[in-house]
Amino acid sequence: MSDAMIEETAARIFADHVDRALLERFEKGEWPARLWGLAVDNGLTMALAGEDAGGIGATWHDAYPILRGIGYWQVPLPLAETMIGALLLSAAGRAVPDGPIALVEEGEALALAGSGEAVRLSGTARRVPWARHCAHAVAVVGGQLVLANLADPATVRLTQRESPAREPDDEVAFDGARVLAAAANPFPDLAAPVRTLAAVAKSAMMAGALEWLLEQCVQYASDRVQFGRPIGKNQAIQQSIALMAGDAGAARMAALVACADAPDTAARACPAALFSAAAAKIRAGEAATRAASIAHQVHGAIGFTYEHQLNYATRRLWTWREASGSDAWWAERLGRAVIEARAAGFWPSMTRRQFAAMPSTMEH
Amino acid sequence: MQALRIDPCTLSPECEALRAEVRAFLAEAMADVPPQKRVRSWAGASPAFSRKLGARGWIGMTWPTRYGGRERSALERYVVMEELLAAGAPVAAHWIAERQSALLLMRLSPEVLAPRIVPGIARGETYFCIGMSEPDSGSDLASVRTRAVRTDAGWVINGRKVWTSGAHRAHYMIALVRTGTAGEQRHAGLSQFLVDMKTPGLTVRPIVNQVGEHDFNEVTFDDVLVPHDCLVGTEGEGWSQVSAELAFERSGPERYLSSTELLLQMIDAADPADARQAVAIGRISANYAALRQMSLGVSGMLARGENPAQAAALVKDQGALVEQAMPDIAHDLFGGAAAPGSALAHALAYTTLAVPSFSLRGGTREILRGIIARGLGLR
Ligand SMILES: Cc1cc2nc3c(=O)[nH]c(=O)nc-3n(C[C@H](O)[C@H](O)[C@H](O)COP(=O)(O)OP(=O)(O)OC[C@H]3O[C@@H](n4cnc5c(N)ncnc54)[C@H](O)[C@@H]3O)c2cc1C
Repeated sequence: MSDAMIEETAARIFADHVDRALLERFEKGEWPARLWGLAVDNGLTMALAGEDAGGIGATWHDAYPILRGIGYWQVPLPLAETMIGALLLSAAGRAVPDGPIALVEEGEALALAGSGEAVRLSGTARRVPWARHCAHAVAVVGGQLVLANLADPATVRLTQRESPAREPDDEVAFDGARVLAAAANPFPDLAAPVRTLAAVAKSAMMAGALEWLLEQCVQYASDRVQFGRPIGKNQAIQQSIALMAGDAGAARMAALVACADAPDTAARACPAALFSAAAAKIRAGEAATRAASIAHQVHGAIGFTYEHQLNYATRRLWTWREASGSDAWWAERLGRAVIEARAAGFWPSMTRRQFAAMPSTMEH
Repeated sequence: MQALRIDPCTLSPECEALRAEVRAFLAEAMADVPPQKRVRSWAGASPAFSRKLGARGWIGMTWPTRYGGRERSALERYVVMEELLAAGAPVAAHWIAERQSALLLMRLSPEVLAPRIVPGIARGETYFCIGMSEPDSGSDLASVRTRAVRTDAGWVINGRKVWTSGAHRAHYMIALVRTGTAGEQRHAGLSQFLVDMKTPGLTVRPIVNQVGEHDFNEVTFDDVLVPHDCLVGTEGEGWSQVSAELAFERSGPERYLSSTELLLQMIDAADPADARQAVAIGRISANYAALRQMSLGVSGMLARGENPAQAAALVKDQGALVEQAMPDIAHDLFGGAAAPGSALAHALAYTTLAVPSFSLRGGTREILRGIIARGLGLR
């Protein structure tokens, strides 16, 4: 599938099938099975997975429209998570299971025990988006990529929680959960590949949500009339929305570059991926903070209702700015690496998109 | 909204090879330049440095060889510019001439003025200033009152320009003046002239800025006679010409890198174990990363012959926010704690005083956001 086809396919599925009724049913707890089926049948879940594993073998650049689309159309699916899980498994030469895959980005006392067929996973992951809908989870524990069985209540305890987006954000306690497959981390340039790739995906999703927010604000400011003219004719409104356009543009650029620098099954070496992921997630987080505030101000009271579509985007932005490492979380790690490089190393590292100390600052 | 869209741009291996060359050059040429001078960023002027750059072929490197250029790509030029700015090189002498004036001359007077003047710009010997603003015409540029009247001997200019950066070392000004009545459209009746700064009747007076430096000036025109062939472009077309010029004026990486020396001083003063410092410096670095790619993307638009006016306004607005936040962040982290007399204390004091101008020069924040709002279809 060419990148233009991926873009068309994603846009068609999302635009045609993610509507208000679906989102409301989803927020009442209904799993959007038909939408998921379309994403699977059209290859979206396997876009990043290698062709050997039955995937498309797309680059992140090619897959950007899918990720952006999740934000732009507010698609309520663990699509990015499954794409990343499938990429990691297939890059490690492991089979990709059917069904949605959850990502364990970080956890407390995560550890493997046993060997061979009987490897077991223990520890607690406080925030695993979509876990309740997934039979499998991918994690990297002690440098090992593992596929864990989430479906066995005897070894996996799930505490259901929701993010502000009203998407599942569950706590998962592994108590000797079965490891169905294990392999070495396929992207050794990434110290924390699950967290890092999830941050790249979130940045692209946020760029999409910001694009929608901007279009929505322009539209609303042109339609809403007060004092006998559209509110968008007031300079105060124009200037706020212009600032938002700058933030959305910066977030989009950073996300596109993070995608260009992220590894895929064909290009495993990714020296710039960590820096670009950090930059993208930080920039998207800052943009989300400013843009959500402006968007609500522009919309007045109607934008504060559950009824209005606006909150479906802003709630996602507030959720995603925290998820996969908040902007402050990433900024601390990037900042420490920048300080380690000292002034003399700053610019050369910027142009290489690589700060030498960053892998170690990722280990807390 | 399409005009606001900036796509990423990849630098070729040739660009990276050039970067290494520029770095080697700067390591030598800047070896004795202290942080107290680098902090001036692109407001720092050194004709000797400009001539050295010219000799390396790094001024006007995209221009045709007949004008002294090297016919290299816009992206190669971008690499040279960002390396110069990141190093705090004193580029002010030739910066304006290279960035906008030469382009105007090559486009609008390719056979007469450009062959005469542009090669000197490329050598780093000929400098320009921008004669747009006047005492009563700032953001409302179309209201300029300086006037040129056609006579047999040439055009006679009377009036006054202000805030003219570098007028005291410039050889020429491109002046935007009134040659006809505005009429129905306020933008009609404007023209641009090439003015030799040594012409009798032209007087340059320094205006000291709040940093305590002499960068900008007042320039008065008292019956200044300008030859007929120094009308740049077409009589009455000054407004559309100046709009194109402003796109170039706003499009470069100098619009986000001006506070870099203070950032470098902060990095050297910071402790990697201090989370507050790390978060602040990490945020700035992320913003640099995004701005750098946007700025590069605008260069890509120039390379493809697209009009970057709206995209450039967007990048300049975002860039100024980051430049201007720098002293406030430094104050938050190190204010009062930097050793008196240290490079950090100096950079903080200097940059604090300098940054208010960053969202004024080259078009104010409000004017830029107005341009963006137009790009969004709001006006
Ligand atoms: C360091 C520096 C160097 C400069 N160098 C040059 C130079 O070399 N050549 C040159 O020609 N000029 C130069 N300028 C002038 C610069 O272009 C002007 O300062 C700028 O265009 C703004 O004009 P003004 O200062 O008269 O402010 P004004 O236009 O009077 O604006 C004052 C404030 O009002 C706001 N404002 C004005 N109109 C509107 C509006 N319609 N809507 C909302 N807000 C509005 C502005 O945004 C600003 O905040 C320089 C300025 C500085 C600070």
